[in-house]
Amino acid sequence: MIYLDHAAATPVSEKALARMLPYFSEQFFNPSSPYLPANHLRQNYEYAKGQIAHTIGAKGNDIVITAGATESINLAFTAIPALMNDICVGKSGEKSTKNILILEIEHPSVRATARALVENFSGADKNVKSPLELREIKVDKTGLIDLKDFRKKLDENTIFVSVSLANNELGTIQPLAEIAEIIARERTKRLESGKIIPVYLHSDASQALNLVDISVARLGVDLLTINSAKVGGPKGVGALYVGHGVKLRPLIYGGGQEVGLRSGTENVPGVMGFAEAATETKGHLSGNRKKYEKMRQILAKELEKSPISPLFLGNKKHQLANFLPVSFPGVDAERIIYKLEEKQVYLSTGAACAANKGAKSHVLTAIGLSDEEIAGSLRISLGVLNTEENAKEAGKLIVQAVSEETQRVSGGKQAQQIKSDGCGVQNA
Amino acid sequence: MPKNQQKTVFLGMSGGVDSSLSAVLLKEQGYNVVGVYMKNWSRDLPGMKCPWAEDLADAKRVAVKLGIDFRVFDFETEYKQKVVDYMLAEFKKGNTPNPDIMCNQEIKFKLFYDVAMEQGADLIATGHYARVGRESEREITLSSRPTLLMAKDANKDQTYFLYRISEEALNRTLFPVGDMLKTEVKKLAAEKGLDNAYKKESMGVCFVGEVGMKDFLKEYIDIQPGEIIDVETGKVLGMHEGAIFYTVGQRHGLNVGGGLPYYVVKKDIEKNLVYVSANLNHQELWTKKLELKDVILRDLMVMQGEQNTEIQVRLRHRAPLIPAQLEIEHNKNNAIVSFEKPIKTPASGQSVVFYDSEVCLGGGIIR
Repeated sequence: MIYLDHAAATPVSEKALARMLPYFSEQFFNPSSPYLPANHLRQNYEYAKGQIAHTIGAKGNDIVITAGATESINLAFTAIPALMNDICVGKSGEKSTKNILILEIEHPSVRATARALVENFSGADKNVKSPLELREIKVDKTGLIDLKDFRKKLDENTIFVSVSLANNELGTIQPLAEIAEIIARERTKRLESGKIIPVYLHSDASQALNLVDISVARLGVDLLTINSAKVGGPKGVGALYVGHGVKLRPLIYGGGQEVGLRSGTENVPGVMGFAEAATETKGHLSGNRKKYEKMRQILAKELEKSPISPLFLGNKKHQLANFLPVSFPGVDAERIIYKLEEKQVYLSTGAACAANKGAKSHVLTAIGLSDEEIAGSLRISLGVLNTEENAKEAGKLIVQAVSEETQRVSGGKQAQQIKSDGCGVQNA
Repeated sequence: MPKNQQKTVFLGMSGGVDSSLSAVLLKEQGYNVVGVYMKNWSRDLPGMKCPWAEDLADAKRVAVKLGIDFRVFDFETEYKQKVVDYMLAEFKKGNTPNPDIMCNQEIKFKLFYDVAMEQGADLIATGHYARVGRESEREITLSSRPTLLMAKDANKDQTYFLYRISEEALNRTLFPVGDMLKTEVKKLAAEKGLDNAYKKESMGVCFVGEVGMKDFLKEYIDIQPGEIIDVETGKVLGMHEGAIFYTVGQRHGLNVGGGLPYYVVKKDIEKNLVYVSANLNHQELWTKKLELKDVILRDLMVMQGEQNTEIQVRLRHRAPLIPAQLEIEHNKNNAIVSFEKPIKTPASGQSVVFYDSEVCLGGGIIR
């Protein structure tokens, strides 16, 4: 097997698995129970939480453990109703429409959460203006934030900004610190005008934890989402960093675990695995970056040999070292995937139409790709399961599949070709 | 050189075993096969999910494996109009329509056929269990009159769903698995390495999914409480959620307590009343005569036929054939089917399909 989809999932590392195992059957206690072994377990749990927090330059008490990045993002967005409640209700009741800013290429877990929130705030009466508005910040052709557009859309009514640290389709790394600086200036402006309405910055760093040296202080974020499953930890565990003074509302109520923000008995083995994997990956950041860059170079060089020249996507300067998004315009990438799976080579399409309910990727559309380029795009993401040898082999096999497909389309009797959209869907 | 090489077949592929094996068979027969996934209407509500995306992936996977062309036809708008809206309108009139029959008539053997022909197809094909009788197997000519024949696998025969498809489309249709038993299909598919050979079969109407028709209808039709009346005593037994949600002959789903099972005998849509009886032998639950509308006649024998033709009919998919007498009105649009022995009264809106042994003669919709 040659696995080229580390952005989707990673295998649990040996160390992480070993750290988890005792917590299934031996150390099975409920950390909230009153006897000593349970107390010890609580200490181990808090220690592990501290380790997770440490990888982003935070303390254990600053993070909330969740069941994954999607939940972390949903929890981060609860800052919005909490804020709306504070600023729109009561004596000083704000009347102007507030807004949320997200990058137009955000992951669906951000987009859908933001949209649902705005929808919940707008009443049934369509003639009454909604008190909350969603604005999408544009990106350039490489997926990098358009700071001019951001400055234009950020105004005195912005209460929440969400920008991923690295995009999940392109691997483009955003200049978070710069974004935070712009927000800081807006805060100063508000203070000077005497209007003290907060604005929070959230970043989804799910794809970046194992490749970018993350420090919440340096990035200047108020909320940060990280995920265990992308860094060699188990699935179903994530964390949300919550900066001081940020008020959230729980999504799940109950016994008041995680300072009341996320009730439910703690996922002790999951947190142990996450802590181990995050720590492990943090120790190899620069080494891994160099390793993946080399493999990526080798793979890209192989792809250059394709009969259709590859169009490499994303931002060469600001890109996760393991990402190689590429398009072979005119080829149906989904067919390439099904061809390669027979040879046990696994990768994703940029478009992933079938998995995407037939819609073409909003990310690839946003960076201005044509339908043909979208339909021909593959997302290669390297990781622990790759070597220079299998990266080269993978490149060869991809080129072979692309060649076969090109021959199939040009040779043989073809029924009349009809123009279709980036998903190959034709409208009747 | 294979004999069919010059012909292009557009095959409807659903991702299931029948259409997947059809692709293999057509390719082996030398056709230039183009696989087509028809995207029909589906609502994505929580808990109401149609697995179309997975089906599309399965279908495409097979196409790629065989190295054939593959396309997706988006028929959502048309499907919503011609099938879903029709179905809802019929329910509102108090009928119990069959959306699968409508889908074949309007989508698969009309829209799909038309678009395929436009795009250069010589023939279309589907994975249905049915056969086409042709004067000549070699040459499909425009003038030839095809007959719709039952599948070799009597238990899987799907002609009940196909009786309304146009002669023009049928004339240019291939059913590659129609002369195979389902067991043979599964075995051969496994031999050919089709991984979906053991996939669970999709049953029923996709957009309704697993929640069932009543829950689906409730998304569109408001609940309107009405009385459930004992047809014999006239006593009110309880309340229902709207007469249109009930089907004549239905036993379950009545909010009537007590020991005896009640059957829906008739409905009064205007007054929103449901009449029931605990007596399965109640006369209204049985009939010896059915009046049909929108009759389709597929065969010369019945088209020019005598006034009373001895035929067999099928009242439901996979139901046994029952001998009956067919009387067609002059306008050819209406018909009466009579039985020697009383049958359980089917719901209005359902189809009665006519057969002469294995030949599907046509059918009509119960008034």
